[in-house]
Amino acid sequence: MVVNNLKLLVGGVQLRDAVTTVTDILGKLFMRAGLHVLAMERGYASTIYGAHQFDPLVVSASAPLSYGDDRTDILVALEHDANPDSSIQPNRDTILRHGKNLKEGGVLIYDNSAETVETGELQARGIKVFPLPARRIAQRELKLEVTKNTIVTGALLRLLEFDMDYVLFGAYLEGRFLSKGRGVVDINLEAARRGRAAVEEILSGNGWESVGYRLEPQPSAEPNLLLTGNEAVAMGSILAGCRFYSGYPITPATSILEFLDVHMPRYGGRVLQGQNERESMRAAIGASIAGVRSAVGSSGPGISLKIEELGLAGATETPLVIIDTQRAGPATGMPTKSEQGDLAMAIYAGHGEIPRIVLSAGTIEECYSLAFEAFDLADKYQCPVFLLSDLTLTDGRQNLPQSFFTENQKPIVRHGLVRASDVRGDGYHRFEMTESGISPRSIVGTPDAIFKVSGTEHDETGLITTDPSKRKAIFEKRMRKMQTYLKEDAKPPQVFGSPDGVPLLIGWGSTKMPLLDAQARLRAEGIDTCLIYFTHIWPFPVHLVQPLLRQGSMLIVVEQNYAGQLADVIQQECLVETRRVLKYNGRPFYTADIAGGVRQVLAGGTRVVRVGEEAPDAAIETVPEGD
Amino acid sequence: MSAASPETARLWEKNAFPRHRIQWCPGCGDFGVLAALKTALVRIGVSPHEVLLVGGIGCSGQTRNYLNGNGFHGTHGGPLGYALGAKMAVPDLTVIALAGDGDTLAIGMESFIHVCRRDPAMTLIMMNNGVYGLTRGQDSPTTGLGQIMEEHTEEHPPFVDPARLAITAGATFVAQSFSGDPKHCAEIYAQAFRHPGFAMVNDFSPCVTYNKFNTSGWYREHSEHIPDGHDASDKAAAWALLDDFDRRGKLPLGVIYRAPRHKKAHARLPVWEEELAGIDPEPMFSVFR
Ligand SMILES: Cc1ncc(C[n+]2csc(CCOP(=O)(O)OP(=O)(O)O)c2C)c(N)n1
Ligand code: SF4
Repeated sequence: MVVNNLKLLVGGVQLRDAVTTVTDILGKLFMRAGLHVLAMERGYASTIYGAHQFDPLVVSASAPLSYGDDRTDILVALEHDANPDSSIQPNRDTILRHGKNLKEGGVLIYDNSAETVETGELQARGIKVFPLPARRIAQRELKLEVTKNTIVTGALLRLLEFDMDYVLFGAYLEGRFLSKGRGVVDINLEAARRGRAAVEEILSGNGWESVGYRLEPQPSAEPNLLLTGNEAVAMGSILAGCRFYSGYPITPATSILEFLDVHMPRYGGRVLQGQNERESMRAAIGASIAGVRSAVGSSGPGISLKIEELGLAGATETPLVIIDTQRAGPATGMPTKSEQGDLAMAIYAGHGEIPRIVLSAGTIEECYSLAFEAFDLADKYQCPVFLLSDLTLTDGRQNLPQSFFTENQKPIVRHGLVRASDVRGDGYHRFEMTESGISPRSIVGTPDAIFKVSGTEHDETGLITTDPSKRKAIFEKRMRKMQTYLKEDAKPPQVFGSPDGVPLLIGWGSTKMPLLDAQARLRAEGIDTCLIYFTHIWPFPVHLVQPLLRQGSMLIVVEQNYAGQLADVIQQECLVETRRVLKYNGRPFYTADIAGGVRQVLAGGTRVVRVGEEAPDAAIETVPEGD
Repeated sequence: MSAASPETARLWEKNAFPRHRIQWCPGCGDFGVLAALKTALVRIGVSPHEVLLVGGIGCSGQTRNYLNGNGFHGTHGGPLGYALGAKMAVPDLTVIALAGDGDTLAIGMESFIHVCRRDPAMTLIMMNNGVYGLTRGQDSPTTGLGQIMEEHTEEHPPFVDPARLAITAGATFVAQSFSGDPKHCAEIYAQAFRHPGFAMVNDFSPCVTYNKFNTSGWYREHSEHIPDGHDASDKAAAWALLDDFDRRGKLPLGVIYRAPRHKKAHARLPVWEEELAGIDPEPMFSVFR
């Protein structure tokens, strides 16, 4: 019997089958029971209706390091009829795609309202199969089709021998539906009971006592929060003092816009859905000129469109946080698939040169805590600050103790803002020459501190000039801020393990958890590595990184892109050679990809391993995705 | 906003940056706009620190540098975007965008249409010279005003009429003025600044260097003040005025269209540490439990 340790995958037809309703309910119930929940690869398509959708959920006794591999313990197929995309494979899409990854001794539960699927092969592998006519029961017996997923939920609770008396589930339903009337709660409870009855019938029919998996509540001392990376960024932004956010809908940044639209007004802020990417960026710059902490969020294609304004923010020394939720590019790429392909853009994009800071989150915790830093640094250095995340993080969900959020809620410090009382006479110059490169900033409405700001080259008063010595001086003043940053605020990479004489695994972004997982797996095999993980990428802190890199035996940079963009930065900045393990097929890095790639580098001295093709035990996509 | 006072007049007269040399060609229409702006700002009684002047990229965009008041100068096509954000942040700020016809109607067209729809309480003075001045005389979207075009080609499409466009897009204050008549301009600007919605002033401001057709003389001949008795709240009447140009060749100067506007008041967005302190995360936490 496996207790409190499993990976469950729910699949179905996008929009119609409400796949995430099931995982959302289960996630909350498991979390409320003190278990750890991680849902890091939300599979959805850029079409709206009809494509295959899946949502894996890892449940465990202690916080899982990562979502592990493509292996599944329990597979739930919600389709109840022919996949509208395919007339040849009725009711089998989820099973065909994910059945191959079911572990031996695993469980398949599927809706057989339309027909019973041939599952002999799976059963031969020791997999217990539960056909459940959920839609038929919902329609014919309960007369309410939407309850079909509650029937499945009830079945799963029974399979996992969890919350059998519906204490947690009942409370969940009341919280969600009581405002619509007791009847709605009751019919859902009834639906859950039908699911349970169906499972019991199959169990006893096969003479099975249980399915081999059980979840047991673990009392937890404090409340937990279950949220996505985007929700963590958005909440962090509000708590970090952001009061103006604008965005133009784009996957996967949209949910930041949606969250802030609901919550920002409560804190006196405003959200703008711009009419396009550039209007969003310009409005955020305008609000920032007015003194408000402001941010824009977008993904690759939208960031590309904002680049002209990025240069402007740099040249005008306007603080601005730019959240780039990376998705697979180039061009429109794969809007619902993850990649770490925008690093070079964040670091180098734009004509001319501007001061800019690039931060990158690797976990949902960092989505939250780096938001505070991003707004603080933008304010202090009066320049654009990128906060990078990627689709794996933006849509991934994880529970974290509430105390994590309160403990990491940093006080808000406004840097260098000039108050009316600070200014005397007409002496105020917006771009005053300072040693740090940071000039006192006045905001609109401050008497006697009227500013002139221009993206066209200007002198310290803000008025336009092409005088060579003035241009040189103002350019150097602007860029000097980055030296100040390197001295005062740059952070070294995080280090896991001792770098002395071992291969260094180097990473950034959402690969952090699988990297830690892979490191543990390699260690178990006797391969010792040290993980060097970057959150503060630009300006590149050479002085903090170089001594670390010198200690390792070789550098293996693991990234989810084609070229190895961080590897290039490291080579260029530290003048060292890097090897690369890369993946860019749209699926996240699995532990096996990394471990396999590293083994290959170590064994053959391979310089570049492109995982998904060469790595021996990598999870290779064989079923083509319809999206 | 109070009424004109000698004190505000003094503040506006005082050039914040007297070292700045005016870089327009002698005789450029934009001088008239500058003079009228100062008069109008004094008339509505705002102090320079209560004003944000957002300049476009072009000769016209320089205006903000030649008088007192906060000034921001961004990208070509950008002024209305920055202005919108600043206005949303500080609702009682007097926000004035000063941009060219190329800036507004070519590269900035996307902003123009949507700002008309949003109708924020700010003003655009579009300094319309019918050409690109700063880049030395290329066609702008308003090139060809009053010219008889034998046939339109792909290279020379008919001119855009900003007033018609603004009314169509939803602007609630649409006016025209001629910078050769700064007294009248000042009157129109002052009304625009006081309008509680988006005010678009299409200001004919001749480029003496590159537009040899729409000269001051041409504008004088081809424009007239809107007759007393025009009901600006009547959209059909506004349209008739604009159609009149096609019939009689006279551009109407004055307020063409004005719709009553009732905007929900917004508070200024929080800026200072003390306004941002003591935030309660509970309403957000509760969503995730
Ligand atoms: C993105 C971009 N494209 C082109 C330019 C070059 N440019 C500068 S001003 C201008 C047009 C100016 O015309 P208009 O807006 O009518 O103003 P005017 O100078 O006539 O007052 C152009 C195309 C630029 N600065 N930025
Ligand atoms: S080029 Fe034309 S618009 Fe520009 S300053 Fe000269 S006259 Fe004025």
